[in-house]
Amino acid sequence: MFSKIPLPDQFDRLIITGGIVTASTTLFILSILLILKFLDFISYTEVFFWLISTGMIIGALASVLLKNIVHAVFSILAPLLGIVAIYLFLGSEFLALAQLLIYGGGVVILLLFALMMTNVQDQPLVEDGSQKPFSIIICILIGLILISRLLSADLNLSTVSSAELSVLAGVIFTDFLIPFLLVGLLLDIALTGALLNGKTHNVVATKRDGD
Amino acid sequence: MIALENFLILSTILFSIGFFGVLSRKNAILILISVELMLAAVGINFVAFASFFDTSQLSGHIFTLFVIAIAAAEVGLALGIIIRLFRDRNSVNIDEANDLKW
Repeated sequence: MFSKIPLPDQFDRLIITGGIVTASTTLFILSILLILKFLDFISYTEVFFWLISTGMIIGALASVLLKNIVHAVFSILAPLLGIVAIYLFLGSEFLALAQLLIYGGGVVILLLFALMMTNVQDQPLVEDGSQKPFSIIICILIGLILISRLLSADLNLSTVSSAELSVLAGVIFTDFLIPFLLVGLLLDIALTGALLNGKTHNVVATKRDGD
Repeated sequence: MIALENFLILSTILFSIGFFGVLSRKNAILILISVELMLAAVGINFVAFASFFDTSQLSGHIFTLFVIAIAAAEVGLALGIIIRLFRDRNSVNIDEANDLKW
């Protein structure tokens, strides 16, 4: 059935393998969490939280470890969309919607466009450097130091206050009005600069010798 | 109910993974992706503290909104620079962009 669809050759194998790996991992984690639920260790809220956070961490690891850059860009969708669910857990509906629209709709598509424009066929993929073991050690140290510091802090709070949209809008347009306008101006200037930077007819004048 | 520490630990793990990506990748677009991951992890931290501590001012939510807007501006500008770099020297390997190094 895949031969009738006009796709690259490795695409069907990619879909099948990725789907099987994702589904089996999800079912494994979900079954462990449901067993814990029926033994009354955790509630349904915690089942969803652990499932989503495990998916986010797996997606983040895949996006920094995979060799194929298209797979890496697609797997960044898991943490960026998992954050939507985390914001909903924390009672902030507007931020969840903004994150979904901007990251899921805008940023990832923009990254994929840039990837397609910079990835020519006869060029080998950019391999990762030799500083990988060093950076693994540094990141594990940073993570352990931060986690140990926050576990030793006294954070016995259990009430979540939800941010209602009307209250949020009131605070933005009264207390934070000047920063809000400045962010809009910054976005305008940055996108205009990106547009000017990408114009083609200046490239010939600044091109280096020997190209 | 989920405790505050769980959100903070998740944000710390995501931040460490993003930092590892920034240190170990050579492709400029993948470095940009890892920076996005770090920014998103910081966003979780802001919203978690705002939801658990600050019940009236909502400052953490608004700061996260600003972080999202600035991250979008940063992605647009950085991708423009990366595409310009690729047109100039036909590669996105950041080790080859060393003209200012002495």
